Amino acid sequence: MAHTIESALTAYLTAEQDRFYRLAFSYLKNQEDALDAVQTAVCRSLEKQDSLRNPDALRPWFYHILVNACMDLLRQRSKTVPFPETEPGQEDPPPPDEHLARQVEALPAEVGTVIRLRFYEELTLKEISAATGANLSTVKSRLYAGLKKLRIAMEGAEDE
Amino acid sequence: MKQFNEFSKAKQAYDETPIPRELSDRVQAGIRQGQRAHRARKTQARRRWLSAAACFTLLLAGLNLSPAFAKAAADVPVLGGLFRIMTVISYDASDGGINYVVSVPRLEAEGGMTETVNAVIREKVDQHMEKARQDWADYQDAFFATGGTEEEWGNREMDVIIDYSVTRQTDTQVSFVVTLAEGWVASYEERYYYNLDLSEDRAITLRDVLGEDWVRRCNDAISAEIAASVDAEGFTFFFTPEDGGFITVDGTTSFYLREDGTPVVVFPKYAIAAGAAGWPEFEIPLA
Repeated sequence: MAHTIESALTAYLTAEQDRFYRLAFSYLKNQEDALDAVQTAVCRSLEKQDSLRNPDALRPWFYHILVNACMDLLRQRSKTVPFPETEPGQEDPPPPDEHLARQVEALPAEVGTVIRLRFYEELTLKEISAATGANLSTVKSRLYAGLKKLRIAMEGAEDE
Repeated sequence: MKQFNEFSKAKQAYDETPIPRELSDRVQAGIRQGQRAHRARKTQARRRWLSAAACFTLLLAGLNLSPAFAKAAADVPVLGGLFRIMTVISYDASDGGINYVVSVPRLEAEGGMTETVNAVIREKVDQHMEKARQDWADYQDAFFATGGTEEEWGNREMDVIIDYSVTRQTDTQVSFVVTLAEGWVASYEERYYYNLDLSEDRAITLRDVLGEDWVRRCNDAISAEIAASVDAEGFTFFFTPEDGGFITVDGTTSFYLREDGTPVVVFPKYAIAAGAAGWPEFEIPLA
């Protein structure tokens, strides 16, 4: 039994590694850090494989570990490298001349995660809820907050 | 619905993120590390049961060893010969988000060497515990100071693992490694290798095992293995000597002895190779 979980997990991790790297890179914007985040998440997931109760939920379960690994590295980095402070809830749209991808990066962390997982990784809202540990209505409100912010920014861009 | 078109462009750019060729090695390294860590947890659990059966297990809040316990433990030999190694402190506990999985070894034998080794192990273990608690507290502070929420923190936890394994035992010699590890954001590990001759009350050196030209024999074996690790594209995890890679072994180089007496030289992670290579080990053939 335990063995089938481990082999299913190993097969999944090997097959989907490019996706993990892209997601990590979108947070960390640095190859070495993104590789570290993926390796850490892969290692953690095997170590904690017993906590995967429902093998069908493998993907959101792993994304939870991966997103945490990325956020941890961002935080750790912000301890050493000065990092632009983003006050939570601050209504401060990203510069209008930026490409949408850059605007997604400028979103507050929880909102940015929902947007990435929904539009880049195409998870369902329910899977995002499992992947972030936030309940479904929180995920929804973060999604709409994110879309609203991005649309405001884009309308700003059209006014130029 | 402009933003959805925009998203398809952003997604396209995202999907085109170049994938570095190290990725696959790093994922495989992560898989190996994770499998080992998972097995270590299971072994620990099993060992705790065995220990309990031998009346070994003590739940200790700190690392203070009571003399009465030390005396009782000494009656249960783990190894024969002139000495025995026993687990003097063994516990598995959680406190403030830290999981401790701890087995601290102690050597029981005549002679000053034994005392020194035990004292060093105790000191390293105490330092490691202190560092782990400090790292965890710093991490927690940084997490909330940079806008982390309770929800995101969730049930994050850190593992502190102290373990040892004996690689070779004869009537008079013992070779063992003590591992001190922290597992959380990044895994961190220290290993200390001990090779002791109890009949002579001293540490065994590579010179003892390999003879006068031990340096050349080690360097030849290690260089050959590094050369063999270069793949068709000229890639290897090992650094070049100019970039801080392997140059030579010396009196401080770590090693352990296999069951059959073969020495295995070990370098710390990152010392001579990229992190994905882990702790590189090189078997040095006996003449």
